[in-house]
Amino acid sequence: MKQVQRFRPHSQSTTFLQVVLAGAVAVALAITGCTKKRFDEKDTTLNVALPVNLKGLDPSNANDQYSATVIGQIYEGLLQYNYLKRPFVLEPKLADGMPEISKDGLTYTFKIKKGIKFQDNAAFKDGKGREITAQDFIYAWKRLADPRNTSEGFWIFDGKIKGLNEWATAVKAEKANYDTPVEGLTAPDANTLVIKLTGVYHQLSYVLTMPFSAVVAREAVEKYGKEFLNNPVGTGPFMLVKESDWVRNSKITLKRNPNFRSDLYPSEGAPGDAEKGLLADAGKPLPFADAIVFSEIVESQPRWQNGLKGNFDWFDIPKDNYESAVKNKTEIAPELGAKSMALDITPALDVTYIGFNMLDPVLGKNKALRQAMSMAYDSKTYISKFLNGRGIPSQGPIPPGIDGNEEGYVNPYAQFDVEKAKALLAKAGFPEGKGLPELTYEGFSDTNARQNAEFFAQMMAAIGIKVKINSNTWPQFQEKIKAQKAQIFGIAWGADYPDAQNFYQLYYSKNKSPGPNDTSYNSPEFDKIYEESLKLPPGEARTKLYVKLRDIVAEDAPWIFNAHRLGYRIRQGWVNNFKWTEVGYDYPKYMRVDSKLRAELGAKF
Amino acid sequence: MPTASSSSADVSTSIVAETEQSDRHQRRARNSLWWDAFFRFKRNKVGVISFFVIMLYIAVGILAAVGVLYPNAQVPNQVEAYTSMSWAHPFGSDIFGRDILGRAVHGITTAISIGLLASTLSLVIGLVLGAVSGYFGGKVDGFVVWLYTTVDSIPYILLIPSLTFVLGRGLINVFIAVGLTSWVTTARLVRGEFLKHKNRDYVMAAHAIGAGNNRKIFGHILPNVAHLAFVQFGLGFVAAIKIEVILSYLGLGVDPSQPSWGLMIDDAKNEIARPYWGNLTAATLFMFGLILSFNLFNDALREALDPKMKNK
Amino acid sequence: MIPILIGVTLLTFMLFNIFGGDPAQRFAGKHATVEQVQTIRAELGLDRSLPEQYLFFVKQIATADYGRSWASKQLISTMIGDGLGATLSLTVPAFFSSIVFCIGLALFAVWGRGTILDKGTVVTCLALLSISSLVYILALQYLLAFRTGIFPISGWDPSWIGRWQYLYLPWIILFVLSLGPNILIYRTVIMDEVFQDYVRTARAKGMSEQKVFAKHVLKNAMIPIITVIVIEMPFLITGSVLIENFFGIPGLGGTLIKALNDSDFPTIKAFTVISALTYMVFNLLADVLYSVVDPRVKLG
Repeated sequence: MKQVQRFRPHSQSTTFLQVVLAGAVAVALAITGCTKKRFDEKDTTLNVALPVNLKGLDPSNANDQYSATVIGQIYEGLLQYNYLKRPFVLEPKLADGMPEISKDGLTYTFKIKKGIKFQDNAAFKDGKGREITAQDFIYAWKRLADPRNTSEGFWIFDGKIKGLNEWATAVKAEKANYDTPVEGLTAPDANTLVIKLTGVYHQLSYVLTMPFSAVVAREAVEKYGKEFLNNPVGTGPFMLVKESDWVRNSKITLKRNPNFRSDLYPSEGAPGDAEKGLLADAGKPLPFADAIVFSEIVESQPRWQNGLKGNFDWFDIPKDNYESAVKNKTEIAPELGAKSMALDITPALDVTYIGFNMLDPVLGKNKALRQAMSMAYDSKTYISKFLNGRGIPSQGPIPPGIDGNEEGYVNPYAQFDVEKAKALLAKAGFPEGKGLPELTYEGFSDTNARQNAEFFAQMMAAIGIKVKINSNTWPQFQEKIKAQKAQIFGIAWGADYPDAQNFYQLYYSKNKSPGPNDTSYNSPEFDKIYEESLKLPPGEARTKLYVKLRDIVAEDAPWIFNAHRLGYRIRQGWVNNFKWTEVGYDYPKYMRVDSKLRAELGAKF
Repeated sequence: MPTASSSSADVSTSIVAETEQSDRHQRRARNSLWWDAFFRFKRNKVGVISFFVIMLYIAVGILAAVGVLYPNAQVPNQVEAYTSMSWAHPFGSDIFGRDILGRAVHGITTAISIGLLASTLSLVIGLVLGAVSGYFGGKVDGFVVWLYTTVDSIPYILLIPSLTFVLGRGLINVFIAVGLTSWVTTARLVRGEFLKHKNRDYVMAAHAIGAGNNRKIFGHILPNVAHLAFVQFGLGFVAAIKIEVILSYLGLGVDPSQPSWGLMIDDAKNEIARPYWGNLTAATLFMFGLILSFNLFNDALREALDPKMKNK
Repeated sequence: MIPILIGVTLLTFMLFNIFGGDPAQRFAGKHATVEQVQTIRAELGLDRSLPEQYLFFVKQIATADYGRSWASKQLISTMIGDGLGATLSLTVPAFFSSIVFCIGLALFAVWGRGTILDKGTVVTCLALLSISSLVYILALQYLLAFRTGIFPISGWDPSWIGRWQYLYLPWIILFVLSLGPNILIYRTVIMDEVFQDYVRTARAKGMSEQKVFAKHVLKNAMIPIITVIVIEMPFLITGSVLIENFFGIPGLGGTLIKALNDSDFPTIKAFTVISALTYMVFNLLADVLYSVVDPRVKLG
């Protein structure tokens, strides 16, 4: 074999290395040069982060909070929540005053504001937005019912409006179309809308604030067909000027709608709002911002870091950054405070819970076993470990801030007590877990959810119950629950509207899976009281029933009550009129950026 | 004067004798080949050291599995979460107050189990399919080539999650899926070798003395392509351990009841913001040690088994 | 190629439509009723017979019209078109710069074969390969973006000029990730040439080592090197899933992960077929290349 050549260092190679190094330095310098982005002194744009990728902009599919946030800027419905008042107060949006409700509660008559125009769009004659009419609402709501649209929002009207379900069935059989009248939805004149209900539905006013029920232009739906979800045409304060303003999976820029109606900043608020400066802009025309940029950033760390750099006007605090952001639970960390950032803490109006499948042969029939597991679970440690203390242990399904949550109430089975749990387990027939088969907890496959599952298994192991953990993708997880195949599962419910009914429906036997009653809980006693409560308007009598309902589910323990979360977010010093709202999506139009201050502060970040 | 029949008998005996001789010759040659390989390997210091490091890992993994080392790696201690480095916890403790070193040690057991599972499965499938296809040729060959090209042309990241529809989720199932999809290279190489070997003299001779297909495949040709199997096994082993990390990040093949380096790195994803480096450091170091040793060992093995590879 | 395509479609169809569960449940939403689930099943075409569903899938491929995503209701062709630009602007620069750099280093290593330089290169490459790619991403993103702020953490600008600032760090990571495997493979390929007869002859004729390398080794190694590169080309489309996710690059990788997490079968199927086609095309290209250069190789 030929002798191996020995390597001799060559001068050329050193030169090559030098070139590479010099190049790297040059590139690094160029980069640092261009990342220093400054804000324009006149730019009033709101910069907002979304933790998900947007799917589409069709209000009939505004089925997650974030799509609804964006859709809610473009589209509007009849009613809205007052921006400042708490507890939440409904007020008209596109409606001209609150509806006239018949004595039996079955007929709602809405007057619609005159002169409201759709955003300019090629779908209209000459590209100019036309005036809205009551017929536009009827058309939009039929779209929700239309089976071909497979809208997730139809539940707001399902079985509630006279003739609407029948219309949907006829459409499916191709025996009806959008021109076929529906008994319960009529427009005596262009500005009057009459809704006839099949039964009392006190929650109707609430669902009419949701983007699902927003007004839609028939011309646009017909022009764009299936592409309507990329060509939104609404009446809202902001609009998508051209399709390319939405860079898929990246960001969407909405600009001010020049046709926007006269809408004013409220002049009354909750007690203390004036002191916080929330009434300084009272009576001024809305919106304040010329544009909103929603950035879609899925990973929490980049979102947080961008926020700290001033790239977002407000942003959530991820669990693992809590300690660097918050001091003494309620104060902002001094480094951030020095940048004029402020801390906002608002209850999230939700409940996290661990559900038991009530159809399961082991868990469903053994109340003591469920109670034992409930008492073996330490929600306080859960809150300190996973929420950094940002939550309160829940005693029942109703979060504070919603009628039906009784302050000071203590649920006997929601108290962590290993000894009592062990006693209950023995009572259930499984002393120290003997004879109990291994149970299965279904969770989904995100890091936090997996750690939650581990925590649950550790808690149960302490009293002798063996729990196996299954990780699922979110849809697989959903499918298992809907098919009643999940034995134990951890999940949360956020309020669609501020009414305890939205939580109690989760226990109603007629809503069992695939409906929202995920545990398939079935209690005739509960059903009876729940049905009674539906007939009552908000008030003391109804609250009493809500308390009864709570006591039933506390005793039966189909859920382990975990926590009501508190939302912690950071607001930049240049954002005015910031009051976080957990229901309703109107807040961006009220926010005002002090663009001079942003330019000044932003330069230092 | 020998009769025609006896002459034919003579011829056949002589063929048998010849075959036996060539067979023996072949076997001797093969044995010396293995000895040569062994001696070559022994001379390679890096290879020998890495071999011992792997043995050490295996020993520690077994000790952890039988409960001698860190039997309490999974037991939480909620009050001691995220402690920093100390003598008791050289890498600190995790969110549930569990000793990170203990979890990293138990991670060895997980890594070795999934490595063995996936690479054994893929090796067996690859060897059998490659051998059958190369040996029989024709329609069988056509089918196997079609099968592996098909599997190979679907990206991994799509194939594994979709296989879990069939097999179910969980660590074991996912690594069965990894095994079921990673045999293509082995099959392709083994097939190539079989195509080369099946017309060689020694196989022809074995055929002449009436050796069956089984005997020819397993007794004669397979030992000659065994070096390929060794190398492929090592590569598969390393790949499986690395895939575990990616799959844990994607939330596939996660089984929290058993500590794994993938789970630790997934935990670390959020923790570096704190900043808390215990999980990331421990998992990366442990993985680095095992995989590097395996890579170096493989490299040395390849050189030893394939003399043509010398100096490469 | 057609039989393979049939194999791919059959396998994908089997995995999703037969074993994939009932996606209608998932798309019905939290307030769904039994009737709504049935309606959705009909809308998605899941109530049709399996052969019908398969033929529909084949028709989609034949017409290159994959319909709409179940999860987002967007056109799948648009989703893929949107993602492709972002993915390519991430992978192409890293891929080709890494090739040039790695071939250079591999030549260097082969030149110094038998010395510590070559051994050192091999061991360094193996060491680089012994760390999980996830660790590279986590550590480099933390150190070079979060901690020092040299690069932006994540983000995207649709304009061609604006996007580069967000791509420097992903490029660096992709480049670093490709060093180990690339150097090793090019080294092997080049080393093969060094021991060829013509190289020995050239050396025996007294040609200087530099000339041998420039004139013979590199020139002849180019063919196998190009083949390796061509076979690796599909990576340009599928190779950056994790990096896209971490850096918020709106490419195909993110679309794919989302589709997997949403059980968005039509999107996943479209991806599978497209990546399989890409794979086949580039493999065919490599074969053609080989047969052009080396007439002994016949196209099968």
